[in-house]
Amino acid sequence: MTTIQSPVDATPLSGHRLTTSKAMVEGVELEMDRDPSVVYLGEDVGAYGGIFSSTAGLLDRFGPTRIIDTPISETGFIGLATGAAVEGMRPIVELMFADFMVVCLDQIYNHMAKIHDESGGHVTVPMVVTTAVGGGYSDGAQHSQCLWGTFAHLPGMKVVVPSNPYDAKGLIISAIRDDNPVVYMFHKGVMGLPWMVKNPRATADVPAGDDTVPIGKANVVREGSGVTVVTVSLSVHRALEVADTLAADGIDTEVIDLRSLVPLDRETILRSVGKTGHLVVVDEDYLSFGLSGEIAATVTDVDPGMLRAPVARVANPDTPIPYSRPLEYAILPRQDRIEAAIRRTVSR
Amino acid sequence: MTEVVFPSLSTDNVQAEGVVATWFVTDGEHVEADQLLAEVQVDKVAGEVPAPVAGTVHLLVAEDTAVVQGAPIARIDQ
Repeated sequence: MTTIQSPVDATPLSGHRLTTSKAMVEGVELEMDRDPSVVYLGEDVGAYGGIFSSTAGLLDRFGPTRIIDTPISETGFIGLATGAAVEGMRPIVELMFADFMVVCLDQIYNHMAKIHDESGGHVTVPMVVTTAVGGGYSDGAQHSQCLWGTFAHLPGMKVVVPSNPYDAKGLIISAIRDDNPVVYMFHKGVMGLPWMVKNPRATADVPAGDDTVPIGKANVVREGSGVTVVTVSLSVHRALEVADTLAADGIDTEVIDLRSLVPLDRETILRSVGKTGHLVVVDEDYLSFGLSGEIAATVTDVDPGMLRAPVARVANPDTPIPYSRPLEYAILPRQDRIEAAIRRTVSR
Repeated sequence: MTEVVFPSLSTDNVQAEGVVATWFVTDGEHVEADQLLAEVQVDKVAGEVPAPVAGTVHLLVAEDTAVVQGAPIARIDQ
């Protein structure tokens, strides 16, 4: 795969406060204004505005020929988007929940992700799959998964995961402009939705213009010297909260928001672990065969001697996500488990 | 002085209560006309509140406190 965009200066000149969902919509709106080949399709993306407000207001702005409500037929409409992309459009197609990937994985993986390589690089598939991920609000085992490890495991797709308004806007713009298929995964808990658990970090200043966030570049969101926490999405917020708590006890935590899983910014991880010697990976996806193991291997493949203690992995255990709130909270990588893991790691 | 009221999101129940979910501006800030001031919510329906005029905004209710539709939530001094 090729990367078409290069890093840009990320300092906003003038900005305004937005929630993550509104920032994402603003990014889509700017690109739809700029490029008539961009369309947005999916279930309830029109009049409803997306069940997690990913398309609020876009139907009024662009009309039903560019904001397209689809039937409940993921195989059909993801195939439709792939065909449109191959023919030169830049569709954004929403998979309402990442959990639903399993009903349309043939289109996603055997077609969208493979066409470029199968054509010997002659055909590009410039499309974005947007999808909601994550738990914490009792939506049950089939509506609460993150599954980014599954997408990232399959070659041929970029995978981006914004955690805040700034990255949500910058990454959706980069994703739309990218000539590769990009899976854009937004956690419902970072969107700033009024009916979800209140999250102050889901509202922030974003630049008014079309500033991009480069795909494949992690962000050190908190600098520290004692331990590195590598994480993504809503877990970034939890890790930052824990880092503040631990600072009072003299534990100096560096927090890395990966932002992209594919491509993965291994250099930033290695630089940080080289400095701190301690690594904790926090991942709201299943523990085994996933992101947390990949991050650990990123370090041990290069130099296990960097580590002064074993890598700690805080992830969902390999079990379906419970509906019951206390049980769900018990398996999610929440603040209590993150804090315990960091304390254990730095004490070794 | 211009009052900014909680918009009517529930047509079935005009006396419905909602909350200001998010203030996008701070008390005493200068705002432009049409600038997004707040997101409000009644049950699971959310709505946006733009500034009717430019001026200095004064917030009359805190986030997450119950407000009846139509009640003033901010004041803008021109």
